[in-house]
Amino acid sequence: MNSVAIQSRAAAPLSSYRVTRILGLIAALGASVLLAACGAGSASTTANPQSSPVTVSAQAYSGAAPASADVEAFMVNLWNNIQGADRCGACHIQGNQSPMFARSDDINLAYQAAQTVVDLGKPSNSKIVAKVGGGHHCWLASNQACADTLTTWITNWAGVTLGTSTAQLKLVAPRLMDAGGSRPFPVDPALFSTTVYPVLTQYCSRCHSPNALTPQSPYFAQPDVQAAYVAAEPQLNLNTPMQSVFYIRLADQFHNCWNGNCPASAAAMLSAIQAFAGQVPITQVNPSYVLSKAMGLYDGVVSSGGPRVETGLIAKYEFKTGTGTVAYDSSGVEPQLDLNMTGNVTWVGGWGVSIKNGAKLQGTTTGSAKLHDKILTSGQFTIEAWIAPDNVTQMGADIVSYSGGDTARNVTLGQTQSNYDFALRATTTGANGTPLFSTPTASMAVQATQQHVVLTYDAVTGRQLFVNGVLVATGDAQKGGSLSQWDNTFALVLGNEVSNTKPWSGELRMVAVYSHAMTQSEVQTNFAAGIGERYMLLFNVDKYTGLSQTYVMFEVSQYDSYSYLFNKPVFLSLDPNTHFNAVTIKGMRIGENGANVAVGQAYATLNTSVSGAGFDPSKGTGTTVPLASVGTVVPLYNGPAYDQFFLTFEQLGSATNVVVEATPVAPAPVYLPLPSDIGVRTFEQIYTTLSVMTTVPVTTPEVANLYQALQQSLPAKADLQSFVSSDQMAVAQMSIAYCDALVSSPSLSAVYFPGFNFSAPPSTAFNSVGLNAMITPLINNMLTANVATGQFLATMPSSAAVTTEVTNLVSKLSGSVSQDAAGTASIVKASCAAVAGSAAMLVI
Amino acid sequence: MKAPSLLSTSHRATLRNRALPAAVAAALAVATLVSPAAHAGTREQAMRLHDRLDGAPPSQAVLNAMQAKIAGGDAVGAAMLAMSDPNGLFYTVTLKNFVTPWTNRAQTAFAPLNDYTATVIGMVRDDVPFNTVLSADIIYIGASALGLPAYSTTGNDHYAQMEAQGVNLMTGLQSAMQSTVTGLPSAATAGVLTSRAAAAAFFNLGTNRAMFRYTMINHMCADLPTVMDITRPTDRIRQDVSRSPGGDSRVFMTNCVGCHSGMDPMAQAFAHYDFVYASDPTVGAIQYTPNSIVGKYFHNNTTFASGYVTPNDSWSNRWRTGPNSLMGWDATLPGSGTGAKSLGQEIAASDQFAQCQVTKVFQAVCLRPPSSAADFSQVSQTKGNFKQGYSLKKVFAETAAYCMGN
Repeated sequence: MNSVAIQSRAAAPLSSYRVTRILGLIAALGASVLLAACGAGSASTTANPQSSPVTVSAQAYSGAAPASADVEAFMVNLWNNIQGADRCGACHIQGNQSPMFARSDDINLAYQAAQTVVDLGKPSNSKIVAKVGGGHHCWLASNQACADTLTTWITNWAGVTLGTSTAQLKLVAPRLMDAGGSRPFPVDPALFSTTVYPVLTQYCSRCHSPNALTPQSPYFAQPDVQAAYVAAEPQLNLNTPMQSVFYIRLADQFHNCWNGNCPASAAAMLSAIQAFAGQVPITQVNPSYVLSKAMGLYDGVVSSGGPRVETGLIAKYEFKTGTGTVAYDSSGVEPQLDLNMTGNVTWVGGWGVSIKNGAKLQGTTTGSAKLHDKILTSGQFTIEAWIAPDNVTQMGADIVSYSGGDTARNVTLGQTQSNYDFALRATTTGANGTPLFSTPTASMAVQATQQHVVLTYDAVTGRQLFVNGVLVATGDAQKGGSLSQWDNTFALVLGNEVSNTKPWSGELRMVAVYSHAMTQSEVQTNFAAGIGERYMLLFNVDKYTGLSQTYVMFEVSQYDSYSYLFNKPVFLSLDPNTHFNAVTIKGMRIGENGANVAVGQAYATLNTSVSGAGFDPSKGTGTTVPLASVGTVVPLYNGPAYDQFFLTFEQLGSATNVVVEATPVAPAPVYLPLPSDIGVRTFEQIYTTLSVMTTVPVTTPEVANLYQALQQSLPAKADLQSFVSSDQMAVAQMSIAYCDALVSSPSLSAVYFPGFNFSAPPSTAFNSVGLNAMITPLINNMLTANVATGQFLATMPSSAAVTTEVTNLVSKLSGSVSQDAAGTASIVKASCAAVAGSAAMLVI
Repeated sequence: MKAPSLLSTSHRATLRNRALPAAVAAALAVATLVSPAAHAGTREQAMRLHDRLDGAPPSQAVLNAMQAKIAGGDAVGAAMLAMSDPNGLFYTVTLKNFVTPWTNRAQTAFAPLNDYTATVIGMVRDDVPFNTVLSADIIYIGASALGLPAYSTTGNDHYAQMEAQGVNLMTGLQSAMQSTVTGLPSAATAGVLTSRAAAAAFFNLGTNRAMFRYTMINHMCADLPTVMDITRPTDRIRQDVSRSPGGDSRVFMTNCVGCHSGMDPMAQAFAHYDFVYASDPTVGAIQYTPNSIVGKYFHNNTTFASGYVTPNDSWSNRWRTGPNSLMGWDATLPGSGTGAKSLGQEIAASDQFAQCQVTKVFQAVCLRPPSSAADFSQVSQTKGNFKQGYSLKKVFAETAAYCMGN
């Protein structure tokens, strides 16, 4: 059956064929419904004012035909799901509890009754949802799951899923509250210096101090306590010490804990912060602030958000329950495919679950069979997920899988480092879903942040992967296959394989499966709709505008377990008779629990002027004045039910309170033990110095080629501490190459060693005259000395010492070289290299 | 990691087996004769000055002249003599290897001569005010008489040949208008920031934040971890920065924001620059698109859709307030502007820029960091002098004179 046609609200007359199909469907469904008393199960309940439930069996509808397409939509999408005896049909039927929206005698009367308990513009605001969500005869273990399921059914009826939502922003003036007090930072660092500062200086000063070897900002552990205090303030939260950055870094981020014990380190830090905070009295918000009225998150108006496309929905997990070990299927499609948690699955704030260490959420094989049945009927499907991978290093990790083990699967969404993988069993692929269809590596599709990931499949297009609304993988080489080989004994599992062998780490915020291959446009619609509940917070500023019902409004949501997202700030008045003209808004900051937050003040640079008229609901946001296009995250301290927000301004209207930041204190110079005053020549200096010493040009191929091969073995730094033995070996090799080039060149050697007889054998070449003729040029050229005038540098070896050493070397070598001119040349080269490659050359 | 030490085949053939170890042993023996701690007279001071600046031993004539200068109380003049040694090695070797690490991400000196390095060398040689190094319409190329291949916007052969031929960089470089040589609009030139080498290293791929980060490292002596400040406004952090890495927004609020809140508003100055090539980055060229923002500024724009969408190349220095105001930004400048040139001026006008240049030179010629009160006093004094005309050559001379021993 084409669900789009069924859910159409066009006022077309019903064909007898369609009515027959509907009745057939109802009959079939009714037969499958379990018979149970109203309110059966373990859910908490509230008293029913006319509690005389009757047990009736759901049976084929035999009353009047739906009078319109809308009645038909009601019948198919809502009535059909609630008329059973285990649900609303136990009471809200003809002759029993009003409103009789589950009556089975006349669907048109049931439709009229249902109009009193549903809000088609905003299904989640329906009375029936609130009632059941509050515990009134919920048929599941979780009231929230019942509310979500009902919302889905009403949404389907309303056609919101088809983008026909007519929901409008219905803003209501909030109750006015003043911002509460907080613990401000004392001006005097005395308390800090006796509580937190000692911990910082003991354990953090090796980095967070300007005199550290590798200084890391901020310098809260520096010797100057006043400067350290200024640097430490943003890292401390005196109102909620456990939200201090100092504590979080140790407790949750394991940042350089001491003694290898993070819990103990965190506890010590927390104790110190608490000791500090405990001595700071609560004071009311700084009276000099220009501040708005205050609001809590739940004081806001629920934002409808954008429409979603849920055509062909089969299973849906929103993870709203927040407690227990079951993730409920809120698709409203029978049978319920709830997932049981095993291992380290934890609920996260703002709806979601965190999966670690091989944990998983798994449904039953019988429940999972509905995926098989519906997808095989349509031959196409979509898997949609809002996820946040922990990292981009995990490999072969299954995120969403409908499978039977390591070697058999119908479909799997997995992660391999920066790629998403799409495994699918089809007639063109293997039983294990291979070959994988993956996002291109270059796209680096996986980011360790919240992402909207969608897999779609139909035989014509094949597999496609969308990330954040963008098609990142298409062109499936295995397209064209059918899904006929799917196995209905497999199970749906999240965060792992059913065999526990492919663990994935990360957060799941929503997962849904559809028997419809979404188009790119539909994927983008759902991406734009976002995830999580959003609230419109209206911060009243009448005090400063002097006008009626003027507000700065934010769209606020819980972003994750640790922050709120403030987005889309606008200025407006809810009084339609108000006109505001050139109201200056400057330096807007977000305050929380009595003080401006330290991080995330995206609007501190705001400097604008607004003009306009009162809010016109018919125009929606058209009558609000946008203040900024960016959003920002601010810390979550006590939770959405407890944190209180307000706004402060440097200027609002004519009221001003210019924020003057504390003047940073320059760290004092850090005196180090005086390092060595000398160093060594570096690679190219050695190369050119040897050229100067030997007169061999650097462009001489013999030395140039060796230098190219050897340069990175020569000292790269002048620092003596980094000089190693391999450096000396490279120096020796370079020296020998130069001396070889010198001695091998008749022209160079003749000029360099005038009077030395290179044609004589060692026995005669190195007589006293010969030795002097060889050694003196070496000393003059290499030690920057002038033997003739007796000019020697005190920092160089003396002529006599060098002469003695070289003479000894010649003596040792004379007996071990050939007794001819070649032997003589070898000894000269060695002598030359001994001087050239010495510290006399190297050290500067 | 160092390459293995190799002795060429020809050397093995030339030298007898025992000569090499004997020479090494003898070299070590000679080494023991060196007495670096000996009291330094004027000649030893001159020698050290020359060693530290030129890098090679001086001729007797140069040494004599330097010694005379020192004896006459003009150590700075002696240092100037060392730097103007006709062998040109202060420019060809010492200064080149001082600058080359600034021109690549690995921060290694083992990289070819390029237009970034050559431009700094030329500016030092000609005493071009060094505070224009990040903003001027200037470039140095090889003298036409050298017969080098022409400067190319798509390759480094011009400079590689200059190095291969052993050209004396004291005499072989000539100044030119960067806009004339490279074709960039003059207003789009920003000294070495818009050199081909800088573009190849820091505009290549990525998000162009690398250009900002490495400019901070090389010209402010401040890598990002040393300037983290989580209290700056977050309105200019781009969409590609996750506000909840791994689902934990605390990571963003305690770490990421510390750098991005200051960096992103300034890196916006490079929004019209890219380094483009077909497949081989060694034949790539800087590309300036004045009418469009380069695509890399919008990569991963769905990571945080409510983040900042770059509309132009205007930049803002958020570090003028808060802890990083200690960098001493020039109060006569507005702290915001458009494009790389004005950002280069903002950075080079800061006290930290001058401090950084002097500190780097101190490390290079004293072979150690400033360590004592006297050292810091010297750095402060030299910095003050540097800011009077921004002669980096004088910084070398003054600092080398300070470290020449006594």
